[in-house]
Amino acid sequence: MELSVREVGGVAVVKVPGHSLEASNVDEFKQDMIPVLDKYSSVVLDVQGLEFVDSSGLGAFLSCLRHLNSSGGDMKITGMQKPVRALFELVRMHRICDVFDNVDEAIRAFKK
Amino acid sequence: MEMNEAAFEEAVRRHIKFSLGKAYDDATIRDFYWAVSLAAMDLMVEGMLETRLRHRNADVKRLYYLSAEFLMGRALNNNLCNLGLYEVFQNSIRKMGLDPDGIESCEFDAALGNGGLGRLAACFLDSLATLNMPGYGYGINYQYGLFRQEIVDGYQKEKPDTWLAYGTPWELGRYGKACPVPIYGHVENHAGKDGADNPMWFGWQLIIGVPYDMPIVGYGGETVNYLRLFSARASREFDMKIFNDGDYFRAVEQKISSETISKVLYPSDSKAEGRELRLIQEYFLVSCAIRDIVRRYEMGHNSFELFPEKVAIQLNDTHPALAVAELMRVLVDEESLPWERSWEITTATMAYTNHTLLPEALEKWPVGLLERVLPRHLQIIYEINRRFLDRVATLYPGDIDRLRRTSIIEEGDDKQIRMAHLATIGSHSINGVSALHSELVKTMLFPDFFQMWPQRFNNKTNGITPRRWLLLVNPGLSELVTEYIGDEWVKDIDRLREIEPLSTDASFRERFLAVKRANKERLVELIKEEVGTTINPDSLFDVQAKRIHEYKRQLLKVLHIIHEYLRLVEDQKVPTVPRTYIFAGKAAPGYWAAKMIIKLICNVAEVINEDPRAKGLMKVAFIPDYRVSLAELIIPATDLSEQISTAGMEASGTGNMKFALNGALTIGTLDGANIEIREEVGQENIFIFGLRNEEVEALRASNSYNPREIYQSNPDVKRILDAINSDVFSIDEPGLFRWVFHNLLDCNDRYFHLADFVSYLSAQQSASETFLNKDEWARKAILNVARMGRFSSDRTIREYAKDIWGIKPLQ
Repeated sequence: MELSVREVGGVAVVKVPGHSLEASNVDEFKQDMIPVLDKYSSVVLDVQGLEFVDSSGLGAFLSCLRHLNSSGGDMKITGMQKPVRALFELVRMHRICDVFDNVDEAIRAFKK
Repeated sequence: MEMNEAAFEEAVRRHIKFSLGKAYDDATIRDFYWAVSLAAMDLMVEGMLETRLRHRNADVKRLYYLSAEFLMGRALNNNLCNLGLYEVFQNSIRKMGLDPDGIESCEFDAALGNGGLGRLAACFLDSLATLNMPGYGYGINYQYGLFRQEIVDGYQKEKPDTWLAYGTPWELGRYGKACPVPIYGHVENHAGKDGADNPMWFGWQLIIGVPYDMPIVGYGGETVNYLRLFSARASREFDMKIFNDGDYFRAVEQKISSETISKVLYPSDSKAEGRELRLIQEYFLVSCAIRDIVRRYEMGHNSFELFPEKVAIQLNDTHPALAVAELMRVLVDEESLPWERSWEITTATMAYTNHTLLPEALEKWPVGLLERVLPRHLQIIYEINRRFLDRVATLYPGDIDRLRRTSIIEEGDDKQIRMAHLATIGSHSINGVSALHSELVKTMLFPDFFQMWPQRFNNKTNGITPRRWLLLVNPGLSELVTEYIGDEWVKDIDRLREIEPLSTDASFRERFLAVKRANKERLVELIKEEVGTTINPDSLFDVQAKRIHEYKRQLLKVLHIIHEYLRLVEDQKVPTVPRTYIFAGKAAPGYWAAKMIIKLICNVAEVINEDPRAKGLMKVAFIPDYRVSLAELIIPATDLSEQISTAGMEASGTGNMKFALNGALTIGTLDGANIEIREEVGQENIFIFGLRNEEVEALRASNSYNPREIYQSNPDVKRILDAINSDVFSIDEPGLFRWVFHNLLDCNDRYFHLADFVSYLSAQQSASETFLNKDEWARKAILNVARMGRFSSDRTIREYAKDIWGIKPLQ
């Protein structure tokens, strides 16, 4: 999985490629996130391209978040399409992870 | 809606060419059916869009009728009739050189239901639209409807009902409004940002519910609502990873299994059903419906404060009861509302109709199954129950047994969720479907809940739509009535009262009987074609057409037939009037006794129909594959309508209303809506017999009913049962019906056949004697038609709208 990672003022902005995150590619996603999580404590996950995320994909988001939280870091998510957002809320992820409409807002939230 | 014959013909030609891609000269009769339907759909879609805009602009309160069943029947005639285009259709089709009947018969019944409950839902949709009320049906788009029944050697054989084999012109796919439905998985607890518990549902599989809208046009065409039916689709076409590994079949496996959810309608009362799939079906409906309803509400509102003022949800029996837990889940989990506010909203929105008192028909789900399929919902149900039981404990301190009785969870080795309790606790209104039934709901089924919340309990006696069940199915009678009193009765059925004085008018009676005679001739032809039996149209058509179930007592009818037959052949007592005994109905595939009753009817029919001594005096016919379109032929031809359930067991019945509206006299027990029918038509115009509910209850309570004593003391009963037991009706299969003898005499006759038998015979004798006097019979039949106003579903819907839903007509 070709994660595109850029740094903005100490915050890693990760753009998730492809149209879906599900059982067939979630292991790859998790694997590719490890160096990002090791290096940064503030991560913005840009999921704008995703049209579908299944339960294992949402589980992967959760494990990234937990990894960061365990060392005092945090993760924000941006660019969620409507169907993805519905599933995000279905599992109550919005109660533990902040969601923003765009990357800039998410970065600004880290600065507060 | 306006459309003349030329415009109609033009629309048909256009659809043949552009919708079906055919040259006019190559079009088959089925193509014409499609083109005619699509021409009607053009108008209906236009009306639907106008109606939607009207509802949206006025921000109306909407009613959502959630039902696992909608027994719609055929749509073409009904839609044309409600659009005011029926005559236009007939004339223009004839001008095109075609037979309208042939086109109509191309349509398969939409048999998305088992019986009364599903047909009631269909009648309600018609009335909602006719009364210009914003009300919509929500159901499942079953690929296979209720099975097609064939009778082979007297045995019922079930064949798939492929009603969608050629597609249907009446549905519009709403692919952009698909709903995700999660099932299975587990709940993980994580602390939320606020530090509070945050149960998270992971590991689910996702099914997609794709809505298909069936427009529902009211009479006059002013309002067009819709029935939204959901089809299950896999969330992904198939697993690409497995596909890339080269295993195509495994890759599509999950897709196929997901789509199974909306494949088949479960026959009620069947023990053989796949319990897990049925639970998933119910959740599938509820999840799609709630998501769709919330989505629509959110389009016009920023908070949930007004939700109960804009949304009413009616649960048609317990099948959609999970809606209580699902709405709570959406409000608490997804919308982050506090539990208490969510509960206020949920209970103010939901209302529950109970349809049965039979303990075996009250749904329960094992806790283990629910935990596996819907783990988050189980947590929510436990929380609802915990809070409810706290309240019970406060109101009734120390009453431990009450806690056990009212709990949503039934304790035991295999804990069960009582869906009726969930529906009752989560609704602001609980109604039965006839006066007697509603009383029994309060006193026998839910006395504890009634004591807690007496104001929540109410009665809404069922009704039927006079558009389909008189105007459409009985054109002869409709035209006759209209000729005398005008056509206002179609929308205001109470106007039928105006024909009361005509019951003594000899020429009206004569014409009334002529209509009946023509309807009977039509049925005679059908029976000849379907069953091969020749029927005398002048005989009394004695009909029992409904689902086959022991409590409905088709067996009691059979005992009567055997009695008449044995009197004829052994005592040389000729029946008072020649009778044709007609049965129709399906037995649930897993319900052995019901299927054996069909076999008994068929065997009795074979013996009697082939006996020359019975010729011209008795005939018996079982017409296979009872469905709405068959009912439409049987009901207008019926003289005597059999409504003979054990008192206290039939919630309402709606067949009783349909027959009476078409001028049949009822022979029945004081059960369900029969009681109210008697009040309306007058006791002299109905043949009532048998034990009352309280007498049945007293016999049960005192354990004093002794059917064997009746067998020993009544020579008629003894002779009938001995004949059944001695293989008179099962020469080729000895012992086939000994279970009847055993059930009635050794198993204490749970449905009180023998207790009611003598009284039933006497009522039958009265019916025969009345039938001898044609004028008298016609007078009573006309009064039945005239006095059926109370049983219009328009009246029922007005009551629901006013007392429960709070919706108003919008023109």
